Amino acid sequence: MGTAPAQLFPEFLVETFGLPGVLGEVVAALIAAAVVGNIVLAFTGVAGPWAKRKITAAFTDRIAVNRVGPFGLLIIPASAVQLLAKELIVPEGVDRPAWDIAPVILPASALLGFSVIPMGRLGPINFHLADPEVGFALVFAFASIASVSLVMAGYASNNKYSLLGGLRAVAQNLAYEIPLIVTAMSVVLFAGTLQMSGIVSAQTTTLVTIAGFDIPAWYAFVNPFAFVLFLTANMAEIGRNPFDIPEAPTEIVAGYQTEYSSAYFVLFYLGEFVHIFLGGAILAVTFLGGASGPGPESIGFIWFVVKIWGFFLFTQWARSALPRVRIDQLIEIGWKGMLVLSFANLVLTAVIVGVIA
Amino acid sequence: MSSDQPFITDESQVVTETRDARMTGQGDRFNSRLREAFGSSPFILTKFDKFLNWCRGSSMFMLQFGIACCSIEMMHTYAVKHDLDRFGSGVPRASPRQADVMIVPGTIVSKFAPRMKRVYDQMPEPKFVVGMGSCTISGGPFQEGYNVIKGAEEVIPIDIHVPGCPPRPEALVYGVVKLQERVANGEAAPVTVKPYELEEFADLERDELVDKLADQIDDDELVMRYNFADSP
Amino acid sequence: MSLERPDTTDDAAIERTPDELEALLGDLVVKRDDHLNAPGFVIRPDTVQETLSILKEQAGYDHLSVVSAQEYENRYESIYHLKKFDDPTQEVSVVVPADKDDPVSESAEPVFRTADWHEREAYDLIGVEYDDHPDLRRILLPETWQGHPLSMDYDKDRPQIATLPEHANPLQEHHKDDESDTMFLNIGPHHPATHGVLHLKTTLDGEQVVDVEPDIGYLHRSEEQMAQSGTYRHQIMPYPDRWDYISAGLLNEWAYARAAEDLADIEVPEYAQVIRTMGAEMCRIAAHMLALATFALDVNGDFTATFMYAINDRERVQDLLEDLTGQRLMFNYFRLGGVVWDLPEPREEFFSKTRDFLDQLPESVEEYHNLVTSNEIFQMRTIDTGILPPEVAKDYGATGPVARGSGVDYDLRRDDPYGYYDELDWDVVTEDGCDNFSRLLVRMREVEESAKIIEQCVDLLEDWPEEERNIQANVPRTLRPDDDAEIYRAVEGAKGELGIYIRSDGTDKPARFKIRSPCFSNLQTLPEMANGEYIPDVIAALGSLDIVLGEVDR
Repeated sequence: MGTAPAQLFPEFLVETFGLPGVLGEVVAALIAAAVVGNIVLAFTGVAGPWAKRKITAAFTDRIAVNRVGPFGLLIIPASAVQLLAKELIVPEGVDRPAWDIAPVILPASALLGFSVIPMGRLGPINFHLADPEVGFALVFAFASIASVSLVMAGYASNNKYSLLGGLRAVAQNLAYEIPLIVTAMSVVLFAGTLQMSGIVSAQTTTLVTIAGFDIPAWYAFVNPFAFVLFLTANMAEIGRNPFDIPEAPTEIVAGYQTEYSSAYFVLFYLGEFVHIFLGGAILAVTFLGGASGPGPESIGFIWFVVKIWGFFLFTQWARSALPRVRIDQLIEIGWKGMLVLSFANLVLTAVIVGVIA
Repeated sequence: MSSDQPFITDESQVVTETRDARMTGQGDRFNSRLREAFGSSPFILTKFDKFLNWCRGSSMFMLQFGIACCSIEMMHTYAVKHDLDRFGSGVPRASPRQADVMIVPGTIVSKFAPRMKRVYDQMPEPKFVVGMGSCTISGGPFQEGYNVIKGAEEVIPIDIHVPGCPPRPEALVYGVVKLQERVANGEAAPVTVKPYELEEFADLERDELVDKLADQIDDDELVMRYNFADSP
Repeated sequence: MSLERPDTTDDAAIERTPDELEALLGDLVVKRDDHLNAPGFVIRPDTVQETLSILKEQAGYDHLSVVSAQEYENRYESIYHLKKFDDPTQEVSVVVPADKDDPVSESAEPVFRTADWHEREAYDLIGVEYDDHPDLRRILLPETWQGHPLSMDYDKDRPQIATLPEHANPLQEHHKDDESDTMFLNIGPHHPATHGVLHLKTTLDGEQVVDVEPDIGYLHRSEEQMAQSGTYRHQIMPYPDRWDYISAGLLNEWAYARAAEDLADIEVPEYAQVIRTMGAEMCRIAAHMLALATFALDVNGDFTATFMYAINDRERVQDLLEDLTGQRLMFNYFRLGGVVWDLPEPREEFFSKTRDFLDQLPESVEEYHNLVTSNEIFQMRTIDTGILPPEVAKDYGATGPVARGSGVDYDLRRDDPYGYYDELDWDVVTEDGCDNFSRLLVRMREVEESAKIIEQCVDLLEDWPEEERNIQANVPRTLRPDDDAEIYRAVEGAKGELGIYIRSDGTDKPARFKIRSPCFSNLQTLPEMANGEYIPDVIAALGSLDIVLGEVDR
């Protein structure tokens, strides 16, 4: 933890291009943000129309898209343009402007989260936009704005299915946000800092060496129990199976997004995927050592990408195999199970850290 | 809602327009505002149109819509062996707002026709319909039934008919690919009105039947009137 | 209900002769009108409840299979076909004539809950009105329909108007009154979980279901009219395939074949019976696989692995059935007096393909158990939800896996044997859980039993001497059963008791053809299972009922 924090992406730009003064910093920050944002959006672009289908197909013995371009990859622009070029239906009686704002908030909140995520190095560039001292708290704050969007969409759509979906989303987020953050607190206790870079660097030490292999002190290895709790709560937080009840296609059609078409639907779809990746990013930073991995530090970004795609794969696997829990069971698991366990974990961690320190 | 465009109710016109469009190919289903603004079609817009048509033809979201026997074969078409998703059109969406293509897999009866029309209206333009099976062509084996609409085309416009009772999944795959081809070439039947239309009860022509039902149905309730005697 | 079910005395189990029954009913019987399958007692239209409750409580006829109504030149008639769950070969028909000008007869609903929908259907299609019926509305046709389509003076060229009532999914002010916090929600007719075009009018209190009312008729394809306008010999057989269209075609065809063969007194060669038995069980496997697939779809959401795997297994059965019959779904393979053609040549190849399928089936079933039934989340979702107690199931006339999942040991293949079933070694599967999970488990275990039956049939067919391979009995080119013969015969379809009532009038077409659909009765139990549960449970309960709208609406 003694090492000086690595140079951030905007600082790198200022230095490399010699951008002067406050204006230079602003320009550099904007460029850096645009680059990171586009990387994330590119991931979702690949994931949404293509990877998701291919992965699901692999789980169900199918082939999926393979006619449009190599490996069906051209389905990505085709789907995007096709959806955007459709008629945007504004149903009668929707509550505007809430109805229009909701689809913007969802991807925006998730993208904001990436501003504090240390995504590792690729060559000289360190993909990390900002490293405030309370970064860890910030990222959860950003991520939970999403539920506001879902409620807005559900309420403003003037559709009962949407309303049910919106209400489910609130109930679910309330039930899982607290265990999620309380579990994350245990990591903060270990690391002793709320700064993202600090949490990552705390995990770079070696835990044990088995047969010549260094097992790093990733918190997933240090405290597997917290890792499982966090993973579960994270799945609920991003609304994936078995906790996809705000959408639940066979029950409430498409939940909060039932009435959305065209560009707004794309925004929702996009937002969901950015959220999955943000969930993966938080998980990677908190428990999987962020960008650390074998090889030099300069390819850390690749390890980071592997980790968040691994999480994406995990969500798709859960989607293919697991049934969905019922809303009351979900709430019960959240309040009666996860909350208690996460507090137990926190207390235990506090005691252990206290004893060792 | 997308059903705002004025309806053409002259039946003779319906038949010829649909038929002409089928023969000549080019439909006006994907009118872009840009093209209207420019009047003629400058080179760049033609290319743009071509690209859009390619996109629409390559990626289609299906409406998850099951009616009768054919829906079983439709499920098989989505599933492992036939895998419609290979062609980029295997994503079933539950909400009509997010669907491009509606496969009508079964017999349409009097009680369902208004609902089907409503679901069709809820889909955003450009939208396409694949009629699956004999029932959507003519009523199929149930054509003589007292309650059966003689083909889905009496209610909504259909782009591709897939015959069979039920068609094999391979046939449906062929139908969908054919639709993709047509869309990619910018060909589609224009949206024309079919003999059975959803209308407000007050707008119906007064006759014996309407008088009889007048105390049961509100004036502004949507109804569909079937003239079975005129049906094919 | 007004009439409590008393403890069944030992009297109920005794088989009584028709004369004893007549003596039991005493003055209630106006005259005898025996059917081919059962004694028939004509009673006065105002004594329906009295007669039926005597038969139910004192003679043990606890299963009202179906109410079939029809119009004669001089009267209307409703027939109540009664059976015993313990021994379905004991049957009795109660015939209730009603006045031609004012067709009113007493409702049987207070005695048998299942009569509710059956009488509504009779009112809808024939026009008989039932006194004391709780809710006599049209059930299959739009409520604004004019005339009763199966009555004699119906003109099908008349224009009709169907409405699209806006009982409004958008939230409307008038849905919020001071007293209740409930919300009305339409599920269907176009909804991913309704398995076709079913409409559930649901009243919700938050996420909980206060009341659910199935609204059917969105796929009412006039099947009875189609059958009544076809000739016995060839023109009716294609239609049964389209009742329960989930590949259960041969099971349905058998229902018609059994009724018509008994009506015309046709003996089916044993070889054909074995082929029929084998084909029918293949259909049952295909149907249960789809039930599993869609149930997984309902509980898992999205087109997930279980769904895809089950559909894949269906593909395999469908391949076999295609080899056998020439079609994937609408087989049209049975003929009166046998089947249309023999097994495909080369026979060895067909047998080895079938054996391959049977060999890999246990592995698939094991996989489903791993993937579905042993999954804790799945168990959490399905065990103890959608409870259907056996007494309620019987009262509603539920049959098939739905009844067997409630512990009602009722399977017509064993209890009222037909085909080759009584020669083979297999078991009737029952589960006592009465919940969604049990119903699924029954289906999965039945798949294994069906595989056992198919295996034995294949063994038999393989060793069948070549000169004795008689696939069809001698049946006259035009069948004209005796005038005014009436019969009700049922087989165990994929969903339960699938029965056909035929009345002949001396011509080559039936005068009345009534289908007793198992799904129709099974679906009626949904409110019992769903009320008070959560929305996802309603969806799961509906999935576990495994209804096919083609058969519900016909």
